[in-house]
Amino acid sequence: MIHGHRVGEPNRDCEVLEVQGSDGGAPYLVRWGDSGHEALFFPGSDASLEHYEHEARGNHAHD
Amino acid sequence: MRTIEMLHRSGVGVAPARTIREAATIMEHAGVGALAVVDGDQLVGVVTDRDIVRRAVARGLHGDARIDAVMTSPVVTVAADDTLDAAYALFASHGLRRLAVTRDGSFVGMLTIDDLLVSLVEQLDALARPITAEILFAQRDPAVPITT
Repeated sequence: MIHGHRVGEPNRDCEVLEVQGSDGGAPYLVRWGDSGHEALFFPGSDASLEHYEHEARGNHAHD
Repeated sequence: MRTIEMLHRSGVGVAPARTIREAATIMEHAGVGALAVVDGDQLVGVVTDRDIVRRAVARGLHGDARIDAVMTSPVVTVAADDTLDAAYALFASHGLRRLAVTRDGSFVGMLTIDDLLVSLVEQLDALARPITAEILFAQRDPAVPITT
């Protein structure tokens, strides 16, 4: 989440696709939520990170 | 004050193999005028909107050309823990409008002259406020009674 810098400017969000930093840090390959474009991102004080749980994909066997 | 404390915006970058068109699109959507060109986690160049105009558009370079064909390299950098005085000196000596901030050699963000100007204006405003108040609302000491 990147917070707006001007009054009335909406927050923007992007999804982290890949961590490219050697120690698990930046740069992150992200996809912008509003445009779908991918870029390398170096989060600063205007950004916050939110974790979401993803359900495991695939078929589940039921007895 | 350290340079890192003046960074208000997240940094945005591209890989060297991305195209000029992609870089321009990222600039537009991210609302920035300069991108770090990063290979792995190594800063290899910086590309600005001005670079794209002068080195690509003006020379007829195709939008599908690699962005590293028009980037500036090597990059003038300032360390995140350096003082702002060091940043001012680099801006002045190199005639730059943006300065890549690094930590241990890795890019962390882009410091712009605009950031410094905004900070200076805020400091000047803070200095001028009490003076302005004094001019507008002058306080005079009560007259001392004259005794004879």
